[in-house]
Amino acid sequence: MTERIWNILVEGFGKIMLASIQVTIPLTVIGFAFAMVIAMVMAMVQYAKIPVLRQISRIYIWIFRGTPLLVQLFLAYYGLPKVGIVLDSFTCAVLVFSLNEGAYCAETMRSALEAVPEGQVEAGYCVGMNYLQIMWHVVIPQALRTAFPPLSNSLIAMLKDTSLVAEITVADMFMAAQKIVGRTYEPLWLYCEVALVYLMYSTILTFIQRAWEKRLSRYNDRQTEVKAEGGAL
Amino acid sequence: MSMLEIKNVHKSFGKREVLKDVSLSVEKGDVIAILGPSGSGKTTLLRCINFLEKANGGEMVFDGETYDLGHMKRADIAKIRKKTAFVFQNYNLFANKTAIDNVTLGLTSARGMDKAEAKKIGMQMLEKVGLADHANYYPIQLSGGQQQRVAIARALATNPEIIYFDEPTSALDPELIGEVLGVMRGLAEEGMTMIVVTHEMNFAENVSNKIVFMEDGEVLESSASDEFFSPAHEHENRRINEFLKNIRAQHEA
Repeated sequence: MTERIWNILVEGFGKIMLASIQVTIPLTVIGFAFAMVIAMVMAMVQYAKIPVLRQISRIYIWIFRGTPLLVQLFLAYYGLPKVGIVLDSFTCAVLVFSLNEGAYCAETMRSALEAVPEGQVEAGYCVGMNYLQIMWHVVIPQALRTAFPPLSNSLIAMLKDTSLVAEITVADMFMAAQKIVGRTYEPLWLYCEVALVYLMYSTILTFIQRAWEKRLSRYNDRQTEVKAEGGAL
Repeated sequence: MSMLEIKNVHKSFGKREVLKDVSLSVEKGDVIAILGPSGSGKTTLLRCINFLEKANGGEMVFDGETYDLGHMKRADIAKIRKKTAFVFQNYNLFANKTAIDNVTLGLTSARGMDKAEAKKIGMQMLEKVGLADHANYYPIQLSGGQQQRVAIARALATNPEIIYFDEPTSALDPELIGEVLGVMRGLAEEGMTMIVVTHEMNFAENVSNKIVFMEDGEVLESSASDEFFSPAHEHENRRINEFLKNIRAQHEA
């Protein structure tokens, strides 16, 4: 490796990291947070079989899962201004990622809710709880546990998919790399470098996922240590 | 006056009629065993009277009030459920809660009871079923028999006027059946009113005071337990004689 390439990579690393902190990570975090809210609401209206809202939710999921993310980004950024809706590129990206990711995660959440055995819901009614109390204390906590691994996968996938926003002029870490390539013409080294930074972030997320999964699986693990305090009568 | 009366309950799943005009009367302190072959509608009857299934028609008199089972109001269902309890074949413990939390959730969440007070009651109930030392175990860490005993403690915690048991020992290893039946026998001796759908003939014969025999969605016979099991007693219904003969043959085998 020549000194020139070394210098390009050092400069590139700084710019890529900066763009990741300013754009990629905030976009991922904000987008995913909104996506979770959307997913939860969409999954709940389906689980509770609320008329009309349930159909709306199905249509929303059908559209956003059935069309490409890149096309959705283009539509929002280049298409919407034609009907008078002008959003800055970052807002567009957050909007599209929330809606797109929300549609996928809604399905994950719905299946997780449905995986909680019906008998526990019946038991809840029999001890006098109402629907919301059962959801809150029994169904949702277990569904979140079930949904956690696939949701973590979605988050990691979304982090990588944010590289598409360079196409609608959002200056994310991939665009930072592209700019330096344009100037230096070192695509091999720089794209390897940006790939490694993505890898680093997904690795961190994987570690976080593992730690949380362990925490969440307390009640799914026969080995869980029993709290010693026992029953203070 | 009976504490609970069920009159002319009808229930169909699609075209299949599962309950055809079933009536039942329960006095305070009764332990009623509902017997009968599989598919006779025993479980459905129990589920209908606790509204886990919606009956197509029928009447219920509970606590002096009369209800139309085919058109129950949500508030009435809630009111009645707060005075009854249900023990399931598959325990149905809340998997994300420890034993003690399973027992107290109905108190803290549904009845707004103070946590410390609920815990005190919960521990008493676990004590009663012999599991006070397992209070902080999650269901998955308990054996089937222990889970069912926690489920009974959960049923007791809300201080019900009547407890429905739906084949409480059918999912258990033969070895573990005894510990659950032991707890139920203790409750019967304390005067708890219970309706038990069961295949345990010893329990039916020795613990319950009344037998209801069902087949094909109908009550074929309703009698005192001594009378029902008395070898001298010739049942009007041939099907019951056959049923008892088969069971006695099994015992002797």
